[in-house]
Amino acid sequence: MTTKDTDTAAPGSAREYEREHTPRLAWATHAPEVFKAMIKLDAAARKGLDPVIYELVKIRASQINHCALCLDMHTKDALAAGESVERIIQLSAWEESRHFYTAKEIAAIELTEAITVLTEGFVPDEVYERAAAHFEEAELTQLIAAITVINAWNRFGVSTRQVPGHYKAGDHK
Amino acid sequence: MSVRTTHLDQGVVGAMSTLSAAAKRGLGDPVLAELVMVRASQLNACAFCLDMHVDAALEQGESPKRIALLDAWAEAGDLFTERERAALALTESVTVLTGDFVPDAVYAQAAGHFDEAGLAHLLALVAVINSWNRLMVSRRIAPGGPAW
Repeated sequence: MTTKDTDTAAPGSAREYEREHTPRLAWATHAPEVFKAMIKLDAAARKGLDPVIYELVKIRASQINHCALCLDMHTKDALAAGESVERIIQLSAWEESRHFYTAKEIAAIELTEAITVLTEGFVPDEVYERAAAHFEEAELTQLIAAITVINAWNRFGVSTRQVPGHYKAGDHK
Repeated sequence: MSVRTTHLDQGVVGAMSTLSAAAKRGLGDPVLAELVMVRASQLNACAFCLDMHVDAALEQGESPKRIALLDAWAEAGDLFTERERAALALTESVTVLTGDFVPDAVYAQAAGHFDEAGLAHLLALVAVINSWNRLMVSRRIAPGGPAW
């Protein structure tokens, strides 16, 4: 938590949280041209992609990669865009909660996992083919681009230990 | 194994090129940049990227022996400098991110050899080559292309 150190919501049992950490590196300040280029890349990769699927992809990759700042951002943006709390909570267990998602969404999530943990399987044929059955070529390659870009953001976020909790929905739209 | 698709949005291609150039320029060490890009591409099994960056490394004057031993840099004694070793360790950790999520020891070692701007651009370069690797491996782009 960032705006308070104790949780006063539970009556009579104020709990003390760990202190907020400081990031390792303000990478965007030290590499402003890179940051600008990342913003442009992000905008290019989301064009033509279903915005609901786009946020699910961002959240799932960030869960796998443990990017706390990215999760803060994309869960808040997804909720603000009308995504349900239930679907966000169930996302990391989608194999056991398939009926919360469309077949197209599941194909996108599977592809997200395969491209994110690239070194485990290097995007197997069956995963790619299931995605290709639900997305026509142009949208499929935008999906691949979106998965690629969140993986890049995740790498910046995790390697420099960016701090979650301060994002407000829409800040980076 | 055949190519799955060579389609890729031109806006994405252009933005990726701009991003790549910014990362490389900021790092200011073309030989190290190629070593980092070859190493990440080895881990991610990106044949297209290996083909490209092995050629680029050779063009930068890198030796065939160092390129061949890059896969075993940690066991290669003083074939690589301490600065290169720190950069390669960081490259591996950021590339296989779910392996150890970039532990303090790996980060601190790199931070001992690069100033903040250098470190930011080194991380950017690792993120960029990981992006190219993902764009190429997922579409099964063959060495030499075409890639789009």
